[in-house]
Amino acid sequence: MISNQNDPLQRDTSSIVMACLFILISVVFLWDTTRMLDADSYVFPRAVAIAMIILSLMLIVWHLIKPRRERDESMVHASTIRRVTLVMVMLGGCLAMPWLGFLIPGMLTFFLLMFIAMYDEWSMKRKILYPLVAVAIVVGFYTLFGNVLQVPLPVGTLFE
Amino acid sequence: MPGIEFLLAALTPLNIMLALGGVIAGTVIGSLPGLTATMAVAVLVPITFSMEPTSALIMMGAIYTGAIYGGAYAAILLNTPGTPSAIATTFDGFPLARKGQGDLAISIACIASVTGGLVGATFLLLLAPPLAEIALAFGPVEYFWLAIFGLTLISALSEGNLLKGLIGACFGLLLACVGIAEISADVRFVFGSQVLLGGIETVTALIGLYCIPVLIDLVATPDRHLKVDHKPRGFRFLEALALSWKAKFSLLRSSVIGTLVGILPGAGGSIAGLVAYTEARRTSKNSENFGKGEPEGVMATESANNATVGGGFIPTLVLGIPGTPPDAVILGALLIQGIRTGPSLFTEKASIVFTFIYGLYLATFLMLPVGLVIGRYAYQTIITVPKALLVPTVAFMTMIGTYAIRNSISDVIIMILLGVIGWILNRYGFSPSPIVLGLILGRIAEQGFVQAWTIGSATGELGKMFFGRPISLVIIAFILLSLFYPLIRTRFRRSKQEVRHDK
Repeated sequence: MISNQNDPLQRDTSSIVMACLFILISVVFLWDTTRMLDADSYVFPRAVAIAMIILSLMLIVWHLIKPRRERDESMVHASTIRRVTLVMVMLGGCLAMPWLGFLIPGMLTFFLLMFIAMYDEWSMKRKILYPLVAVAIVVGFYTLFGNVLQVPLPVGTLFE
Repeated sequence: MPGIEFLLAALTPLNIMLALGGVIAGTVIGSLPGLTATMAVAVLVPITFSMEPTSALIMMGAIYTGAIYGGAYAAILLNTPGTPSAIATTFDGFPLARKGQGDLAISIACIASVTGGLVGATFLLLLAPPLAEIALAFGPVEYFWLAIFGLTLISALSEGNLLKGLIGACFGLLLACVGIAEISADVRFVFGSQVLLGGIETVTALIGLYCIPVLIDLVATPDRHLKVDHKPRGFRFLEALALSWKAKFSLLRSSVIGTLVGILPGAGGSIAGLVAYTEARRTSKNSENFGKGEPEGVMATESANNATVGGGFIPTLVLGIPGTPPDAVILGALLIQGIRTGPSLFTEKASIVFTFIYGLYLATFLMLPVGLVIGRYAYQTIITVPKALLVPTVAFMTMIGTYAIRNSISDVIIMILLGVIGWILNRYGFSPSPIVLGLILGRIAEQGFVQAWTIGSATGELGKMFFGRPISLVIIAFILLSLFYPLIRTRFRRSKQEVRHDK
């Protein structure tokens, strides 16, 4: 958050919305505790959820009575598409693992992320070197975890 | 003081080689996000089964020591704690790296880790039996207050907005409740999902909340990950040594805190680091710089977490109760070796125990060159690797590392989703550290609270249970001091200024 003395006083609506979301989360947790019979199970989370509601209400009141100069400028030159694609590619890779195993989705995820994070020109050297490095890293880590550290990495139902 | 013959027994070429190999392997494994010190010891422990008990112990101690230190690399260079012990290292380590001082931060972490390791080993050598008694004096209520003490760090991590920090901590505490309840084994807050039955794994949450936001921001702009100074600056060892000497008392205090927290079974390096960080921040002359790249913050955490190695061995060897999770694995390996731990171990098997303790000194000393060299290499790699390779490599490491924790793809998905939540919350001023703090301390706080509450209710002395035990009162005093110290100090400074003004 970057403050600027020349900006007009603004009400921090985003913080108020976030506080409302936290109240909603607390209510959902509180509602879930109502079906618990053992006090050992509900005493602690109930106390925390109530504390979170009180703190969120305090945050709302604070922002209603005290407008602040706050303006977020860090998003201005950033690429939202690349951000969303990164998350989607990682999630997609995970969701494909039960079917395709760890190696193929891992490799695909690596290559796609390489394209997403690429800001330089794809020179001939990079075109040859980067895929080789990618294969070496993925296969290297796969071997380290799967064979040396004996982690049972998923094989994939398609290959079983 | 145990005799020199044990020191000589520890310094055989084989033991030196094993300690060196253990430190290197531990450092490398510990630096990978997702692979904790416990995992490092667990995966390498079968190698030691065919060895002599002393050599096996030395190697396991070396792996453990190296892994705890290795966690600092990812914390400093990627803002992702390689192991939970390095959480508080991110608070000042990453800001230092962003300022172009990553190499200095790594050297500071190395010196601090060696200091902490030596202090922990010295306590183990000289004071093991009496200190083990302290571990027994800690009941559930003391653990509860210790967790609350850790939570007071929120005021330091809230970056000017205490309310948001406290809400974040509550959110973390609620996340810690997801899954099967610690005491009653009730299924809570899973909302019909089988995926959430196992709860939210701490390391999974750590990687998600710290590393994924870094990746999301890395791909968004063509800017470099860390500021780079093109002039070669070497290890910056002397600079780091001078800074460490300047903060020698803080370094020693953090090491002692780490040792004492390490003695408490189940507390571990993460709590030791957090408590030491809180204390260092409270007492430092540069307290306002903490969280913005203060070398003393890195020193406090790294010395404390490595001191837990020696500290954790105290209840493990004297009482047979593992002080930290890796100690539990080592305890199992000792049983396989036919060594029964207990108070008599120090007299009946003195040669094994004291040779091992000297071996721990050896491993800690070896960590200095090993840590500096590997750290230098890690730093050079992170600053020179192009973004198009850095982002997919770190993303792939987080995925495979998270999967390896519980062999679960669901954990990887939870990690990514938590990362997105963390990124969004961070944009609106809710920093991830209080959430992680709540998540880690939530389980300890709830378990201690419910146990103490049950015992207090049964005996009809609830108030006395929580507020009538001497150790509890000491911790409560520290909690109050930690919470109100900034206010007291501000008032003290103001009145001092007024006096000067009057003069």
